[in-house]
Amino acid sequence: MLTAAARLFAVQGSWNYERLQGIGAAVAIEPLLRDLPGGVGGEAYRSAMRRAAEFFNTHPYLAGLALGAVARAEHTGVAGKQIERLRSILKGPLGSVGDRLVWVGALPIASALGVSLVALGRPLVGVLVFLGAFNAVHLGIRFWGLGTGWRLGVSVARALSTPAFHFGMKYAGPIAALAVGFALPLVAVWLTAGFALNAKIGVAGVVVVGAILARWIVPRLGAARFGLGAIVLTLLGGAIWP
Amino acid sequence: MEWTVIALLLAWSLAVGLDLVSLGQFMLARPLVAGPVAGWILGDPATGMMVGVILELFALEVLPLGAARYADYGLGAVAGAATAGGSPGVLGIGLGIGVALLVAWLGDLSIYAVRRANSADVKRCRGALDAGDMNTITGLHFRGLLRDAVRALAVTAVGLLLAHGVRRWSPVGLEEAVLVSVVTIGVALATAGTAGLRLSRGGRGIGWLAAGVAAGTLWLVVW
Repeated sequence: MLTAAARLFAVQGSWNYERLQGIGAAVAIEPLLRDLPGGVGGEAYRSAMRRAAEFFNTHPYLAGLALGAVARAEHTGVAGKQIERLRSILKGPLGSVGDRLVWVGALPIASALGVSLVALGRPLVGVLVFLGAFNAVHLGIRFWGLGTGWRLGVSVARALSTPAFHFGMKYAGPIAALAVGFALPLVAVWLTAGFALNAKIGVAGVVVVGAILARWIVPRLGAARFGLGAIVLTLLGGAIWP
Repeated sequence: MEWTVIALLLAWSLAVGLDLVSLGQFMLARPLVAGPVAGWILGDPATGMMVGVILELFALEVLPLGAARYADYGLGAVAGAATAGGSPGVLGIGLGIGVALLVAWLGDLSIYAVRRANSADVKRCRGALDAGDMNTITGLHFRGLLRDAVRALAVTAVGLLLAHGVRRWSPVGLEEAVLVSVVTIGVALATAGTAGLRLSRGGRGIGWLAAGVAAGTLWLVVW
Protein backbone atom coordinates (compact mmCIF):
# COMPACT_ATOMS: atom_id res chain seq x y z
CA MET A 1 0.00 0.00 0.00
CA LEU A 2 2.84 2.41 0.86
CA THR A 3 4.59 1.70 -2.46
CA ALA A 4 1.37 2.41 -4.33
CA ALA A 5 0.88 5.62 -2.31
CA ALA A 6 4.43 6.73 -3.14
CA ARG A 7 3.98 5.96 -6.85
CA LEU A 8 0.78 8.01 -6.91
CA PHE A 9 2.92 11.14 -6.54
CA ALA A 10 4.10 10.46 -10.11
CA VAL A 11 0.71 9.52 -11.55
CA GLN A 12 1.09 12.26 -14.19
CA GLY A 13 4.73 11.48 -14.97
CA SER A 14 3.95 10.09 -18.43
CA TRP A 15 0.90 12.23 -19.23
CA ASN A 16 0.06 11.91 -22.94
CA TYR A 17 -2.76 12.66 -25.37
CA GLU A 18 -3.43 8.95 -26.07
CA ARG A 19 -4.27 7.71 -22.56
CA LEU A 20 -3.78 10.86 -20.44
CA GLN A 21 -2.89 9.54 -16.92
CA GLY A 22 -3.42 5.88 -17.90
CA ILE A 23 0.23 4.79 -17.89
CA GLY A 24 0.95 6.53 -14.57
CA ALA A 25 -2.19 5.01 -13.08
CA ALA A 26 -1.03 1.52 -14.06
CA VAL A 27 2.42 2.08 -12.52
CA ALA A 28 0.82 3.35 -9.29
CA ILE A 29 -1.71 0.54 -8.91
CA GLU A 30 0.72 -2.27 -9.81
CA PRO A 31 1.95 -3.05 -6.25
CA LEU A 32 -1.68 -3.68 -5.23
CA LEU A 33 -2.14 -6.22 -8.04
CA ARG A 34 0.93 -8.39 -7.43
CA ASP A 35 -0.90 -10.88 -5.21
CA LEU A 36 -3.75 -11.53 -7.64
CA PRO A 37 -4.30 -15.27 -8.36
CA GLY A 38 -1.37 -16.52 -10.45
CA GLY A 39 0.97 -13.82 -9.14
CA VAL A 40 3.04 -11.40 -11.23
CA GLY A 41 2.86 -12.44 -14.87
CA GLY A 42 -0.29 -14.51 -14.33
CA GLU A 43 -3.38 -14.06 -16.49
CA ALA A 44 -5.31 -12.09 -13.82
CA TYR A 45 -2.34 -9.78 -13.26
CA ARG A 46 -1.82 -9.10 -16.98
CA SER A 47 -5.51 -8.48 -17.60
CA ALA A 48 -5.63 -6.09 -14.64
CA MET A 49 -2.52 -4.26 -15.88
CA ARG A 50 -4.01 -3.97 -19.36
CA ARG A 51 -7.14 -2.35 -17.92
CA ALA A 52 -5.09 -0.16 -15.57
CA ALA A 53 -3.08 1.32 -18.46
CA GLU A 54 -6.19 2.32 -20.44
CA PHE A 55 -7.37 5.92 -20.87
CA PHE A 56 -7.75 7.57 -17.47
CA ASN A 57 -7.91 11.16 -16.28
CA THR A 58 -9.02 12.64 -13.00
CA HIS A 59 -7.75 15.02 -10.36
CA PRO A 60 -4.23 13.74 -9.53
CA TYR A 61 -4.74 14.01 -5.76
CA LEU A 62 -7.98 11.99 -5.86
CA ALA A 63 -6.69 9.42 -8.37
CA GLY A 64 -5.91 7.12 -5.43
CA LEU A 65 -9.58 6.92 -4.50
CA ALA A 66 -10.47 5.53 -7.94
CA LEU A 67 -7.37 3.35 -8.25
CA GLY A 68 -7.74 1.91 -4.74
CA ALA A 69 -11.34 1.00 -5.54
CA VAL A 70 -10.31 -0.57 -8.86
CA ALA A 71 -7.54 -2.62 -7.18
CA ARG A 72 -10.02 -3.87 -4.56
CA ALA A 73 -12.49 -4.77 -7.32
CA GLU A 74 -9.76 -6.75 -9.12
CA HIS A 75 -9.13 -8.70 -5.91
CA THR A 76 -12.82 -9.43 -5.25
CA GLY A 77 -13.27 -10.95 -8.71
CA VAL A 78 -15.50 -8.27 -10.22
CA ALA A 79 -15.90 -8.78 -13.97
CA GLY A 80 -13.45 -6.91 -16.22
CA LYS A 81 -16.18 -4.94 -18.04
CA GLN A 82 -17.59 -3.81 -14.71
CA ILE A 83 -14.15 -2.63 -13.53
CA GLU A 84 -13.69 -0.65 -16.74
CA ARG A 85 -17.09 0.94 -16.13
CA LEU A 86 -16.16 1.75 -12.52
CA ARG A 87 -13.01 3.58 -13.70
CA SER A 88 -14.97 5.41 -16.31
CA ILE A 89 -17.76 6.44 -13.94
CA LEU A 90 -15.40 7.65 -11.20
CA LYS A 91 -12.99 9.82 -13.16
CA GLY A 92 -15.43 12.64 -14.02
CA PRO A 93 -16.90 13.27 -10.55
CA LEU A 94 -13.51 12.89 -8.84
CA GLY A 95 -11.98 15.34 -11.29
CA SER A 96 -14.74 17.84 -10.64
CA VAL A 97 -14.56 17.49 -6.84
CA GLY A 98 -10.76 17.71 -6.82
CA ASP A 99 -10.69 20.75 -9.10
CA ARG A 100 -13.19 22.55 -6.90
CA LEU A 101 -11.56 21.63 -3.57
CA VAL A 102 -7.90 21.95 -4.55
CA TRP A 103 -7.38 24.22 -7.57
CA VAL A 104 -10.28 26.59 -6.83
CA GLY A 105 -10.08 26.29 -3.03
CA ALA A 106 -6.97 25.14 -1.18
CA LEU A 107 -4.36 26.45 -3.63
CA PRO A 108 -5.51 30.08 -4.00
CA ILE A 109 -6.33 30.25 -0.26
CA ALA A 110 -2.83 29.03 0.72
CA SER A 111 -1.26 31.26 -1.93
CA ALA A 112 -3.13 34.36 -0.74
CA LEU A 113 -2.22 33.54 2.86
CA GLY A 114 1.46 33.14 1.98
CA VAL A 115 1.59 36.30 -0.13
CA SER A 116 -0.17 38.29 2.63
CA LEU A 117 2.39 37.18 5.22
CA VAL A 118 5.25 38.14 2.88
CA ALA A 119 3.66 41.56 2.40
CA LEU A 120 3.33 41.93 6.17
CA GLY A 121 7.10 41.50 6.55
CA ARG A 122 7.26 37.76 7.27
CA PRO A 123 8.80 36.36 4.04
CA LEU A 124 10.05 33.01 5.35
CA VAL A 125 6.89 32.42 7.39
CA GLY A 126 4.81 33.26 4.31
CA VAL A 127 6.52 30.65 2.15
CA LEU A 128 6.42 28.01 4.90
CA VAL A 129 2.75 28.67 5.73
CA PHE A 130 1.89 28.42 2.02
CA LEU A 131 3.66 25.07 1.66
CA GLY A 132 2.44 23.76 5.03
CA ALA A 133 -1.21 24.75 4.62
CA PHE A 134 -1.47 23.51 1.05
CA ASN A 135 0.35 20.23 1.61
CA ALA A 136 -1.67 19.43 4.73
CA VAL A 137 -4.72 19.33 2.44
CA HIS A 138 -2.80 17.73 -0.42
CA LEU A 139 -1.26 14.84 1.55
CA GLY A 140 -4.45 14.33 3.54
CA ILE A 141 -6.49 13.89 0.35
CA ARG A 142 -3.91 11.59 -1.27
CA PHE A 143 -3.53 9.15 1.62
CA TRP A 144 -7.21 9.26 2.60
CA GLY A 145 -8.15 8.63 -1.04
CA LEU A 146 -6.08 5.51 -1.61
CA GLY A 147 -7.00 4.00 1.77
CA THR A 148 -10.71 4.72 1.35
CA GLY A 149 -10.80 3.44 -2.23
CA TRP A 150 -9.09 0.22 -1.17
CA ARG A 151 -11.50 -0.19 1.78
CA LEU A 152 -14.76 0.56 -0.06
CA GLY A 153 -14.07 -1.03 -3.46
CA VAL A 154 -17.05 -0.74 -5.82
CA SER A 155 -18.99 1.20 -3.13
CA VAL A 156 -16.42 4.02 -3.29
CA ALA A 157 -18.98 6.63 -4.40
CA ARG A 158 -20.22 6.68 -0.78
CA ALA A 159 -16.98 8.44 0.19
CA LEU A 160 -17.96 11.51 -1.80
CA SER A 161 -21.25 12.04 0.01
CA THR A 162 -19.68 13.16 3.30
CA PRO A 163 -20.65 16.63 4.71
CA ALA A 164 -17.02 17.81 4.51
CA PHE A 165 -17.05 17.40 0.73
CA HIS A 166 -20.37 19.20 0.38
CA PHE A 167 -19.12 22.09 2.52
CA GLY A 168 -15.87 22.28 0.58
CA MET A 169 -17.61 22.21 -2.80
CA LYS A 170 -19.96 25.01 -1.76
CA TYR A 171 -17.54 27.39 -0.02
CA ALA A 172 -14.06 26.71 -1.50
CA GLY A 173 -14.44 29.32 -4.28
CA PRO A 174 -15.95 32.11 -2.18
CA ILE A 175 -13.39 31.66 0.63
CA ALA A 176 -10.59 31.72 -1.97
CA ALA A 177 -12.01 34.95 -3.43
CA LEU A 178 -12.14 36.42 0.10
CA ALA A 179 -8.49 35.43 0.73
CA VAL A 180 -7.30 36.81 -2.63
CA GLY A 181 -9.23 40.03 -2.00
CA PHE A 182 -7.59 40.36 1.42
CA ALA A 183 -4.11 39.87 -0.05
CA LEU A 184 -4.47 42.39 -2.89
CA PRO A 185 -4.23 45.71 -0.93
CA LEU A 186 -1.45 44.33 1.30
CA VAL A 187 0.64 43.23 -1.69
CA ALA A 188 -0.07 46.45 -3.59
CA VAL A 189 1.27 48.54 -0.69
CA TRP A 190 4.29 46.23 -0.21
CA LEU A 191 5.27 46.20 -3.89
CA THR A 192 4.97 49.98 -4.29
CA ALA A 193 6.61 50.90 -0.96
CA GLY A 194 9.72 52.30 -2.68
CA PHE A 195 7.80 54.24 -5.36
CA ALA A 196 7.30 58.00 -5.58
CA LEU A 197 3.69 59.26 -5.46
CA ASN A 198 3.36 59.64 -9.25
CA ALA A 199 4.57 56.06 -9.77
CA LYS A 200 2.01 54.83 -7.22
CA ILE A 201 -0.72 56.71 -9.09
CA GLY A 202 0.61 55.11 -12.29
CA VAL A 203 0.30 51.63 -10.76
CA ALA A 204 -3.30 52.39 -9.72
CA GLY A 205 -4.09 53.51 -13.27
CA VAL A 206 -2.56 50.36 -14.76
CA VAL A 207 -4.57 48.24 -12.30
CA VAL A 208 -7.86 49.83 -13.45
CA VAL A 209 -7.09 49.58 -17.20
CA GLY A 210 -5.44 46.17 -16.73
CA ALA A 211 -8.45 44.75 -14.86
CA ILE A 212 -10.77 45.78 -17.72
CA LEU A 213 -8.47 44.31 -20.37
CA ALA A 214 -7.59 41.20 -18.33
CA ARG A 215 -11.19 40.02 -18.18
CA TRP A 216 -11.22 39.98 -21.96
CA ILE A 217 -7.64 38.97 -22.86
CA VAL A 218 -6.54 36.57 -20.08
CA PRO A 219 -9.14 33.85 -20.80
CA ARG A 220 -8.00 33.85 -24.44
CA LEU A 221 -4.21 34.25 -24.18
CA GLY A 222 -3.40 33.41 -20.56
CA ALA A 223 -1.89 35.71 -17.94
CA ALA A 224 1.74 35.17 -19.02
CA ARG A 225 1.19 36.42 -22.56
CA PHE A 226 -1.02 39.23 -21.29
CA GLY A 227 1.72 40.44 -18.93
CA LEU A 228 4.43 39.93 -21.53
CA GLY A 229 2.42 41.94 -24.09
CA ALA A 230 2.03 44.82 -21.62
CA ILE A 231 5.79 44.88 -20.92
CA VAL A 232 6.74 44.72 -24.62
CA LEU A 233 4.29 47.54 -25.45
CA THR A 234 5.75 49.65 -22.64
CA LEU A 235 9.30 49.09 -23.89
CA LEU A 236 8.25 49.89 -27.47
CA GLY A 237 6.42 52.99 -26.27
CA GLY A 238 9.50 54.09 -24.36
CA ALA A 239 11.67 53.57 -27.45
CA ILE A 240 9.32 55.49 -29.76
CA TRP A 241 8.54 58.36 -27.36
CA PRO A 242 11.71 58.81 -25.33
CA MET B 1 27.47 34.12 -12.72
CA GLU B 2 29.67 31.41 -11.22
CA TRP B 3 29.44 27.81 -12.39
CA THR B 4 28.46 26.59 -8.92
CA VAL B 5 25.55 29.06 -8.89
CA ILE B 6 24.47 27.92 -12.37
CA ALA B 7 24.68 24.28 -11.27
CA LEU B 8 22.59 24.99 -8.15
CA LEU B 9 20.00 26.92 -10.18
CA LEU B 10 19.73 24.03 -12.65
CA ALA B 11 19.35 21.53 -9.80
CA TRP B 12 16.63 23.66 -8.21
CA SER B 13 14.92 24.07 -11.62
CA LEU B 14 14.89 20.30 -12.04
CA ALA B 15 12.94 19.95 -8.79
CA VAL B 16 10.68 22.87 -9.73
CA GLY B 17 10.04 21.68 -13.30
CA LEU B 18 9.19 18.11 -12.27
CA ASP B 19 7.00 19.29 -9.41
CA LEU B 20 4.74 21.27 -11.77
CA VAL B 21 2.96 18.20 -13.18
CA SER B 22 5.04 15.03 -13.22
CA LEU B 23 6.36 14.40 -9.75
CA GLY B 24 4.92 15.43 -6.42
CA GLN B 25 2.94 18.59 -7.07
CA PHE B 26 3.98 19.81 -3.63
CA MET B 27 3.81 23.35 -5.09
CA LEU B 28 7.58 23.86 -5.17
CA ALA B 29 6.78 24.99 -8.71
CA ARG B 30 4.77 27.96 -7.46
CA PRO B 31 6.74 31.17 -7.96
CA LEU B 32 6.19 32.08 -4.30
CA VAL B 33 8.54 29.17 -3.50
CA ALA B 34 10.69 28.95 -6.66
CA GLY B 35 11.53 32.70 -6.74
CA PRO B 36 12.89 33.18 -3.20
CA VAL B 37 14.94 29.96 -3.32
CA ALA B 38 16.46 31.04 -6.67
CA GLY B 39 17.13 34.46 -5.14
CA TRP B 40 18.80 32.82 -2.15
CA ILE B 41 21.05 30.76 -4.46
CA LEU B 42 21.94 33.97 -6.31
CA GLY B 43 22.67 35.80 -3.05
CA ASP B 44 19.69 38.17 -3.34
CA PRO B 45 16.69 36.55 -1.61
CA ALA B 46 14.79 39.85 -1.33
CA THR B 47 14.67 40.35 -5.09
CA GLY B 48 13.86 36.67 -5.58
CA MET B 49 10.95 37.09 -3.18
CA MET B 50 9.66 40.16 -5.02
CA VAL B 51 9.86 38.36 -8.37
CA GLY B 52 8.15 35.35 -6.78
CA VAL B 53 5.28 37.38 -5.31
CA ILE B 54 4.61 39.26 -8.58
CA LEU B 55 4.60 36.02 -10.57
CA GLU B 56 2.39 34.41 -7.91
CA LEU B 57 -0.18 37.11 -8.68
CA PHE B 58 -0.05 36.07 -12.35
CA ALA B 59 -0.17 32.37 -11.38
CA LEU B 60 -3.41 32.85 -9.41
CA GLU B 61 -5.11 32.91 -12.79
CA VAL B 62 -4.03 29.31 -13.53
CA LEU B 63 -6.70 26.64 -13.04
CA PRO B 64 -5.03 23.37 -14.11
CA LEU B 65 -8.32 21.64 -14.92
CA GLY B 66 -8.43 18.43 -16.93
CA ALA B 67 -5.98 18.43 -19.82
CA ALA B 68 -5.34 22.19 -19.60
CA ARG B 69 -1.88 23.54 -20.41
CA TYR B 70 -0.51 26.47 -18.49
CA ALA B 71 2.54 28.67 -18.16
CA ASP B 72 5.45 27.29 -16.13
CA TYR B 73 5.79 30.18 -13.68
CA GLY B 74 8.24 28.24 -11.47
CA LEU B 75 10.96 28.05 -14.13
CA GLY B 76 10.01 31.63 -15.04
CA ALA B 77 10.66 32.69 -11.44
CA VAL B 78 14.17 31.19 -11.55
CA ALA B 79 15.00 33.07 -14.77
CA GLY B 80 13.32 36.24 -13.44
CA ALA B 81 15.34 36.16 -10.23
CA ALA B 82 18.52 35.62 -12.28
CA THR B 83 17.65 38.69 -14.38
CA ALA B 84 16.62 41.02 -11.55
CA GLY B 85 19.05 39.83 -8.85
CA GLY B 86 21.56 42.43 -7.71
CA SER B 87 19.75 45.42 -9.28
CA PRO B 88 19.03 48.23 -6.82
CA GLY B 89 15.44 48.62 -5.57
CA VAL B 90 12.77 47.72 -8.10
CA LEU B 91 14.89 48.72 -11.12
CA GLY B 92 15.42 45.15 -12.27
CA ILE B 93 11.92 43.95 -11.44
CA GLY B 94 10.16 44.96 -14.67
CA LEU B 95 12.74 43.38 -16.96
CA GLY B 96 13.08 40.39 -14.63
CA ILE B 97 9.35 39.74 -14.82
CA GLY B 98 9.48 40.24 -18.60
CA VAL B 99 12.09 37.48 -18.93
CA ALA B 100 10.18 35.35 -16.40
CA LEU B 101 6.92 35.58 -18.36
CA LEU B 102 8.69 34.73 -21.61
CA VAL B 103 10.29 31.67 -19.97
CA ALA B 104 6.95 30.70 -18.41
CA TRP B 105 5.39 30.76 -21.87
CA LEU B 106 8.27 28.71 -23.28
CA GLY B 107 7.61 26.29 -20.44
CA ASP B 108 4.00 25.98 -21.57
CA LEU B 109 5.10 25.19 -25.14
CA SER B 110 7.69 22.70 -23.89
CA ILE B 111 5.04 20.83 -21.85
CA TYR B 112 3.04 20.43 -25.06
CA ALA B 113 6.12 19.05 -26.84
CA VAL B 114 6.77 16.55 -24.03
CA ARG B 115 3.15 15.37 -24.08
CA ARG B 116 3.29 14.91 -27.85
CA ALA B 117 6.49 12.87 -27.52
CA ASN B 118 4.88 10.75 -24.78
CA SER B 119 1.86 10.19 -27.05
CA ALA B 120 4.07 9.00 -29.92
CA ASP B 121 5.85 6.67 -27.50
CA VAL B 122 2.52 5.22 -26.30
CA LYS B 123 1.36 4.71 -29.91
CA ARG B 124 4.55 2.77 -30.69
CA CYS B 125 3.98 0.48 -27.69
CA ARG B 126 0.26 -0.15 -28.23
CA GLY B 127 0.66 -3.91 -28.80
CA ALA B 128 2.61 -4.50 -25.57
CA LEU B 129 0.20 -2.26 -23.63
CA ASP B 130 -2.77 -4.27 -24.85
CA ALA B 131 -1.01 -7.39 -23.57
CA GLY B 132 -0.62 -5.80 -20.10
CA ASP B 133 3.18 -5.95 -20.25
CA MET B 134 4.51 -4.30 -17.08
CA ASN B 135 8.02 -3.72 -18.42
CA THR B 136 6.60 -1.68 -21.30
CA ILE B 137 4.36 0.30 -18.95
CA THR B 138 7.26 1.05 -16.58
CA GLY B 139 9.54 1.98 -19.50
CA LEU B 140 6.98 4.41 -20.89
CA HIS B 141 6.55 6.00 -17.48
CA PHE B 142 10.25 6.52 -16.84
CA ARG B 143 10.83 7.89 -20.33
CA GLY B 144 8.00 10.37 -19.69
CA LEU B 145 9.62 11.49 -16.43
CA LEU B 146 13.01 11.74 -18.14
CA ARG B 147 11.57 13.90 -20.94
CA ASP B 148 10.07 16.25 -18.36
CA ALA B 149 13.40 16.48 -16.53
CA VAL B 150 15.20 17.35 -19.77
CA ARG B 151 12.46 19.88 -20.54
CA ALA B 152 12.96 21.61 -17.17
CA LEU B 153 16.72 21.81 -17.62
CA ALA B 154 16.49 23.02 -21.24
CA VAL B 155 13.93 25.74 -20.46
CA THR B 156 16.01 26.90 -17.48
CA ALA B 157 19.18 26.98 -19.59
CA VAL B 158 17.39 29.20 -22.13
CA GLY B 159 16.09 31.34 -19.25
CA LEU B 160 19.55 31.82 -17.77
CA LEU B 161 20.98 32.74 -21.19
CA LEU B 162 18.19 35.29 -21.62
CA ALA B 163 18.88 36.65 -18.14
CA HIS B 164 22.57 36.98 -18.95
CA GLY B 165 21.81 38.75 -22.24
CA VAL B 166 19.36 41.20 -20.68
CA ARG B 167 21.68 42.04 -17.78
CA ARG B 168 24.64 42.57 -20.09
CA TRP B 169 23.17 44.29 -23.13
CA SER B 170 19.83 45.81 -22.09
CA PRO B 171 19.63 49.38 -23.44
CA VAL B 172 16.82 50.26 -20.99
CA GLY B 173 17.52 53.45 -19.05
CA LEU B 174 16.57 54.37 -15.49
CA GLU B 175 13.23 56.03 -16.26
CA GLU B 176 12.19 53.27 -18.62
CA ALA B 177 13.12 50.60 -16.04
CA VAL B 178 10.90 52.31 -13.46
CA LEU B 179 8.06 52.63 -16.01
CA VAL B 180 8.28 48.92 -16.89
CA SER B 181 8.20 48.03 -13.18
CA VAL B 182 5.11 50.23 -12.67
CA VAL B 183 3.30 48.57 -15.58
CA THR B 184 4.37 45.07 -14.49
CA ILE B 185 3.16 45.49 -10.92
CA GLY B 186 -0.11 47.07 -12.10
CA VAL B 187 -0.81 44.28 -14.59
CA ALA B 188 0.04 41.60 -11.99
CA LEU B 189 -2.40 43.11 -9.48
CA ALA B 190 -5.08 43.43 -12.18
CA THR B 191 -4.60 39.78 -13.20
CA ALA B 192 -4.87 38.61 -9.58
CA GLY B 193 -8.05 40.67 -9.15
CA THR B 194 -9.52 39.05 -12.25
CA ALA B 195 -8.57 35.63 -10.87
CA GLY B 196 -10.35 36.51 -7.63
CA LEU B 197 -13.46 37.41 -9.62
CA ARG B 198 -13.32 34.07 -11.39
CA LEU B 199 -12.94 32.20 -8.10
CA SER B 200 -15.98 33.99 -6.70
CA ARG B 201 -17.85 32.98 -9.88
CA GLY B 202 -18.83 36.64 -10.52
CA GLY B 203 -22.46 37.63 -9.85
CA ARG B 204 -23.36 37.58 -6.16
CA GLY B 205 -20.06 35.90 -5.38
CA ILE B 206 -18.26 39.15 -6.17
CA GLY B 207 -19.24 40.22 -2.65
CA TRP B 208 -16.69 37.77 -1.24
CA LEU B 209 -13.87 39.39 -3.22
CA ALA B 210 -15.06 42.87 -2.27
CA ALA B 211 -15.27 41.84 1.40
CA GLY B 212 -11.69 40.56 1.20
CA VAL B 213 -10.43 43.79 -0.35
CA ALA B 214 -12.27 45.78 2.34
CA ALA B 215 -10.78 43.60 5.11
CA GLY B 216 -7.26 43.95 3.66
CA THR B 217 -7.63 47.71 3.39
CA LEU B 218 -8.96 47.91 6.95
CA TRP B 219 -5.97 45.86 8.14
CA LEU B 220 -3.62 48.35 6.49
CA VAL B 221 -5.42 51.32 8.06
CA VAL B 222 -5.62 49.85 11.57
CA TRP B 223 -2.11 48.31 11.68
